[in-house]
Amino acid sequence: MMQAKLRDLLITNILAIVLGLVASGLMLLFLGKNPVNAYSVLITSVVRDGYTFADIFVKATPLMFTALAFAFTYKANLYNIGAQGQFYIGAVIAAAGSLFLQNILPGWLVLIITLLLTIVGGGLWGAFVGFVKARYNSNEFLVSMMSTYVALAIMNYLLRTFLIEGKAEYPQTDALSAAVWLPRLIPGTRLHIGFVLAVLTCVGVWVLLYKTTLGYRIRAVGYNAGAAEMSGINAKKLYILAFFISGALAGVAGFTEVNGVQHMLVQGFNPDLGAAGIGIAILANGNPIGIIFAATLFGALKVGGTIMGQMSGIPSSIIELMQGFVMVFVILSYFVRTWLENNREKRKLQKAVAK
Amino acid sequence: MIFLLSTTIMMGTPLLFGALAEVIAERTGMMVTAIEGIFLMGAWAGFVGGYLSGSLTLGFLSAMLAGLLVAALYGWICIYLKQHQVVTGVAINLLAVGLCSFLYRVIFGVPITPLTVNPLATIPIPLLSDIPLLGPILFNQTILTYIIYLLAPLSYFMLYKTSIGLTIRSAGENPEAVDVAGINVLRVRFLTVLLAGVMGGVAGAFYSIGFLGMFTTNIIGGRGWIAFAICFLGNWNPKGAVIGTLAFGFAEAIAIYMQSTGNSALFPNELFIALPYIMTIVLTVSRKSFSVPAKLGVPYVKEN
Repeated sequence: MMQAKLRDLLITNILAIVLGLVASGLMLLFLGKNPVNAYSVLITSVVRDGYTFADIFVKATPLMFTALAFAFTYKANLYNIGAQGQFYIGAVIAAAGSLFLQNILPGWLVLIITLLLTIVGGGLWGAFVGFVKARYNSNEFLVSMMSTYVALAIMNYLLRTFLIEGKAEYPQTDALSAAVWLPRLIPGTRLHIGFVLAVLTCVGVWVLLYKTTLGYRIRAVGYNAGAAEMSGINAKKLYILAFFISGALAGVAGFTEVNGVQHMLVQGFNPDLGAAGIGIAILANGNPIGIIFAATLFGALKVGGTIMGQMSGIPSSIIELMQGFVMVFVILSYFVRTWLENNREKRKLQKAVAK
Repeated sequence: MIFLLSTTIMMGTPLLFGALAEVIAERTGMMVTAIEGIFLMGAWAGFVGGYLSGSLTLGFLSAMLAGLLVAALYGWICIYLKQHQVVTGVAINLLAVGLCSFLYRVIFGVPITPLTVNPLATIPIPLLSDIPLLGPILFNQTILTYIIYLLAPLSYFMLYKTSIGLTIRSAGENPEAVDVAGINVLRVRFLTVLLAGVMGGVAGAFYSIGFLGMFTTNIIGGRGWIAFAICFLGNWNPKGAVIGTLAFGFAEAIAIYMQSTGNSALFPNELFIALPYIMTIVLTVSRKSFSVPAKLGVPYVKEN
C-alpha cells in the first residue's frame, strides 16, 4: 500500500518536472530558439566543469532553508509565506554583525555569534507572526506576507544609511573581511560549508518533526487543532514556537548567503528565494529529506538558466518561467495522485464485494 | 492638501477594483490569492496592447483578457481540481513574473530607452469640477475612477439586494443549500473568480497605462496583496472596501508626496513606502470582529 503511494509520488513528480520544463521549452520557440538545443546547453553546461557543478549546491543551500521554513509551519497547518522577509532580516543581521565584530574577535567566533544572531533575529521576526495569530487570531498568511515588505523597507533604509559602503556610492555594504567568510568546502569552487549546514538542518528538522514530542504536537495541531487542544496541547504556544523556528530557518539563509557567497549585502539580492522555497516544499510534499533533492533541482535550474542566458541569449527570466511552470504542474500532480489513490480504494472495495 | 487628496482618490482606484473583485469572489468562498499575478499580467497586457495598438482602450481590453486567463487557470485548479488556494496562488504569481518578463523580452527585445505610452488623461466633469476644493479632488480624475465609484454601490446592491447576490453569499456560507436549490456551486465560484480576474486585470493596467505609462516587472510590488488585505479589513463588504481603499490610497499619496518633495530629513522615505503594509498588520491585529465567510478557502465536494 505504502509502496504504491511512494511510486505514485515519484512518477507524478517526475512527470510534473518534465512537463514544466517542456512548457518552458515551448516558450523558447517564441524567441526563435530551438528548445532541444537550449536544454542540451543547459545539461552539458552544468556539468562542464567543477565550478559550475558545485554552483548547483551553492544555489540549493539558501533554498533548503526557505523551503524548510515553509514546510515547518505547513505541518502545523499554518502558512508562512514571509520567508523572503525573514531571509532579508537574517541577511541584514549577518552583514551588520560581521562588519561590526570582524575587527574585534577572531573569525570563527564571529561566524558562530553571527549565526546565533541571525537565528534569533529571523526567529523573532517570524515569531511576531505567530504571536499575532495566537493572541489576536490574525490571519497569519496575510501578516507574514505584509511583514516581507516591511523587512524589505528596513533593509533598504539601513543600506542607504548606517550600513552603506565607505564610498557611499551604491546601496550596499563594504565587503566582509576574508576571516569571516564561511570556509570553502572544495577549493576552486564557491561551495562553502553552509551547504553541509543546510543538509544537516534538513535532517535535524526531519528528526524534530517525526521523532520528538514537540514535532508530534506540531503535527497534531496541524492535523486537528481542536482535538489537539482537547488532549492538552497548548496550540497557541505552538503557533509562536513554530513561527519562531520557521523564521529562524529562513534567517539562516541570510547568514549563508552573506557570509558564504556574497561576502557583502547588496540591495535587492535573491528576490525569489521565498517563493521558490514554497515551490520546493510542495514538490517535496513537505518532507525535509525530500527538500534536499527538490532544492538541488531548483539550484540546477537556476545555474543552468543563467548559463543558457549567457551562451544562447535567452533571457534569465526563463528561470522564473521554469520554476513557475514546474510548480503549477506539481500542484496538478497532487490532483492526479488523489485520483489514483481513490481509484485504488474503489477497486479494492469492488474486489471485497465480489468475494 | 488638494494634491494629497486627489492622489488618494487616484491611487485608491486600482486598489478598489482589486478589493471589490476579492469581496465578490471571497463571498463565494474563493480567496483569489493569484491576485498579485492577475494585477501583474494585467499591467503587462495593458501596456503591450496599448503600446502596439496605440489605443489605451485596446490596452485595457487586453488587460481584462489577461486577467481573465490567469483567473481561469487559478479557478480551474482550485475549484474543479480542489487544490489548495494559498499554494496555487503562490505558484501562479511566480509564473506570472516569469511570463511577463519573458514575453516582454520576446515582443520588445532589449530596448535602449524604456518604452513609454501616454497614460490615461483625467476627464474633468463639466460644472462639478469647478466646485472649489471638492472639484479638483473628486471630479478631475480618470475614467476608471468614475467607473469604480459607480461599481462600488452597484456591487453592494447586487450582493445584498438581488437573488444573484444571495446565491453568491450562500455559496460561501452554506454551499450545500445552494446545491439543493439546483444551482451549480462550482460554476458560481468559477464565474466570480473570472469576474475578479477581469477587474484585477483593469487594476493592474491602471499602474502601467493609467498612471506610469510604462511597464517594469516590479510595477505591482505587492499592491495585489494590499487589495487582498483591504477585502479582509473591510469585512468582506463593499462599504468596508471603499473605506479601506481611501485609507490605503492616502498612505500611498503621502509616500508619493514625500518622494516628490524630497523632504525626507525627518522621516525616511522607506517608512512611507512601508506604511501601507504596516497599516495592514496593525489593522488586522486591532480589529476584533470579522465576519469571515464560513467556507472561505474550503473546496466544495458534493456528497454522493
